[in-house]
Amino acid sequence: MLERCFGGRRLLKVKRLLRNGKLTLLCLALTVVVIRGYLGAGKFGTPQQDFREIRNRFSRRQAEPRRVLEEAGAGAGAAAEEKRSYGDVDIKTIWIDEDEEPERSDPNRPYTLGPKISDWDERRARWLKKNPNCPNFLRPDKPRVLLATGSSPKPCENPVGDHYLLKALKNKIDYCRLHGIEIFYNMALLDAEMAGFWAKLPLIRKLLISHPDIEFLWWMDSDAMFTDMAFEIPWERYRDSNFVMHGWDHMVYGQKNWIGLNTGSFLLRNCQWSLDILDAWAPMGPLKVREEAGKMLARELKDRPPFEADDQSAIVYLLVKEKDKWADKVYLESAYYLHGYWGILVDRFEEMMENYHPGLGDHRWPLVTHFVGCKPCGKFGDYPVERCLKQMDRAFNFADNQVLQIYGFMHKSLDNRKVKRTRNETDKPLEIKDKFGLIHPAFKAVKVSSS
Amino acid sequence: MGQDGITPQKRGGGLPTSTTTVNGRAGRGSILPRGRQIHRTFNNIKITILCGFVTILVLRGYIGLNLGSPDADAINQNLIEETNRILAEIRSDHDPDDVTEPYFDGNATFSLGPRISNWDHDRKIWLDLHPQFPSFVRGKPRILLVTGSPPNPCDNPIGDHYLLKAIKNKIDYCRLHGIEIVYNMAHLDKELAGYWAKLPLIRRLMLSHPEVEWIWWMDSDALFTDMVFELPFSKYDDYNLVVHGYPDLLFEQKSWIAVNTGSFLFRNCQWSLDLLDTWAPMGPKGPIRDEAGRILTANLKGRPAFEADDQSALIYLLISQKDLWMNKVFLENSYYLHGYWAGLVDRYEEMIEKYHPGLGDERWPFVTHFVGCKPCGSYGDYPVERCLSSMERAFNFADNQVLKLYGFRHRGLLSPKIKRVRNETVKPLEIVDQFDIRRTEHGSKASLG
Repeated sequence: MLERCFGGRRLLKVKRLLRNGKLTLLCLALTVVVIRGYLGAGKFGTPQQDFREIRNRFSRRQAEPRRVLEEAGAGAGAAAEEKRSYGDVDIKTIWIDEDEEPERSDPNRPYTLGPKISDWDERRARWLKKNPNCPNFLRPDKPRVLLATGSSPKPCENPVGDHYLLKALKNKIDYCRLHGIEIFYNMALLDAEMAGFWAKLPLIRKLLISHPDIEFLWWMDSDAMFTDMAFEIPWERYRDSNFVMHGWDHMVYGQKNWIGLNTGSFLLRNCQWSLDILDAWAPMGPLKVREEAGKMLARELKDRPPFEADDQSAIVYLLVKEKDKWADKVYLESAYYLHGYWGILVDRFEEMMENYHPGLGDHRWPLVTHFVGCKPCGKFGDYPVERCLKQMDRAFNFADNQVLQIYGFMHKSLDNRKVKRTRNETDKPLEIKDKFGLIHPAFKAVKVSSS
Repeated sequence: MGQDGITPQKRGGGLPTSTTTVNGRAGRGSILPRGRQIHRTFNNIKITILCGFVTILVLRGYIGLNLGSPDADAINQNLIEETNRILAEIRSDHDPDDVTEPYFDGNATFSLGPRISNWDHDRKIWLDLHPQFPSFVRGKPRILLVTGSPPNPCDNPIGDHYLLKAIKNKIDYCRLHGIEIVYNMAHLDKELAGYWAKLPLIRRLMLSHPEVEWIWWMDSDALFTDMVFELPFSKYDDYNLVVHGYPDLLFEQKSWIAVNTGSFLFRNCQWSLDLLDTWAPMGPKGPIRDEAGRILTANLKGRPAFEADDQSALIYLLISQKDLWMNKVFLENSYYLHGYWAGLVDRYEEMIEKYHPGLGDERWPFVTHFVGCKPCGSYGDYPVERCLSSMERAFNFADNQVLKLYGFRHRGLLSPKIKRVRNETVKPLEIVDQFDIRRTEHGSKASLG
């Protein structure tokens, strides 16, 4: 019939046209699909990502009216053109370094923490004599102590990292207030060569020589928390020592084990000996030698994995190598947890609360719970994030309970931020005796003879 | 006879293909000239190649080529998802032990605690019995600085970062001036949450620490910017409440910002307990606070409509019960016990050039208070970049005064990095004598004991 309509030749032409048309349409469709795949949503242009993007755009629109309502409620009537949400802004865009990079020190000269001071003990003694209202001992049995800790001046990579730094700092503020200790929270990188875990060395030296009235400097990592608010350091025990760390003699001097001691929490006396050991400790720290030094330490020390030189391995190595020079003034404390590895402690908090009481400082009620390896400020730690954060919350609440009980409160449970009353308000507040004697502890009392 | 065979040859043309047609099968459509066939083959091949190419592209679009390293990407993606999930859990207000309690019953009167009427007397006896906890140390009254923040993480990470910087700033000032700090992260009273939470806290601390002479409340968004300035306590011998404010704004204009409760001092005495008891009733969450908010908006100039806040309530109290309280209230405006940030932060460079720390007033503000910025929340009343850059500047401005002793300062007020401004020396004690803030103020050291 068609033949009769169009005629033979024409039919052929039409057929060919149709065939070409089909082909064209097919290719066109395929081209569109391919191009869509490249210019469309997401990396590979899958329909799933398409869907996700559409959903996101839609939900963002839903959030806007709520924000406008909130703004109106808060009384702010300004225009919404400029960014008003703290989630939108990147702090890096705000920083400006006005001055140039400081000149790099001569690479050929060996690294030093500073010009050598050799008469620190005499100078300091003279200064203390000249300044009797800045004594280095608050009471005969209580030295003046400065707790030093710190973190980076930039926000943490982990979004909750700063929150945990804040909690750890509050924890330290509480302990130090109860024990009459001052705090220095460092946020400055004093020496770019000694970045990372080595940053504490230039800081400690600087603090010792700038504050001659300090008798002991207590360095504490930002991931360590006090968990025994009633325990006072036995200062008398360290009368003849200059450097107190948690550790075991046999593990350091016997086994040369890199975790035979811990430099996350230690005491250093303000004296010439300490300046000397800092100078001897520093050489493995500078960035340029760290890799090589790390390899050497991995060879020399037991069980140490190969990575760049860290301050803890370096001090183990130094003490072993120059035992005669230093060991007599180093006290490796293991009678209480000047540093307590969190892994073996955090699950036992409820058991401790049931069986023991604060003031013991040891495995029954640890003085310090140190979250080694958790790295809450960084992106990757050595342990699962959830376990670390949850346990840090528990340790914080365990410690906070000891402070809150002074005022008649405690956390509802170790996993709970909220608090509940344990003691009703009374009209005779001065007759209250808090359980652990923390409200007016003996270690806080001032010398009665002072005016 | 032979002629038939020849004629097709002649007619068929010169191409050899035409000879095959001699056999007799000469259907019209199926016999194509050679050229045509090649042409057709070429066409087919072209189409095949084109379709094959297009297919590969399409497949690549859907399956990908795996040229990069997907592992790092996948790990990163997993980590981000995991962190977000944990974050959401941490940020949530979910309380596993919560028993929902009803709102405070409006008919019963709210109180901070049982009425205490003998506090001055009891406190004096206690102090006499405990000389090892005196209320004056080296001639200066014992002060307790109280501040705090909510127990949950902030809505955004930058909020927590600035809370951390703010508490470091307070630690620095207090270390230099021998002041103790209490950082509160607990809601002591469910009814009095939010800005009202300071009232039960202050009362609790006063009663637990009779050795403390002054309680200094400071908001978490206030920063010390004059590290040398010392509070002039001799001015306040006859007063019990020191708050930054202006008498004309308070009594004549009845403005809701006549005083600022972001930084104020309360003496530890009976009068303060009484004031706290009178102040608290507008606080309880719910219908009481809302109703109180309406009263305050109606009575105070410029106040927007929202629930009752502690500042407006105090202003209303001081105006309406002027005779009861004002003789013991010191409205301080000779220095910035509270300094509204917007008028100060842009002038820091000018201040560094012309003035020096220790003045505490508009030449070198004692406290820079970032009202309205709310970095811990999601939104503030001001553009966030302005708030954040201003807070960073204020923090560094103050930090420079602390770092001076150590020979460093920041590389610009907006830089977290520092640079050395003084070489190391073998005579560090000369530096200490010259630069230590604790030694330069009146020649006496402020310390804990």
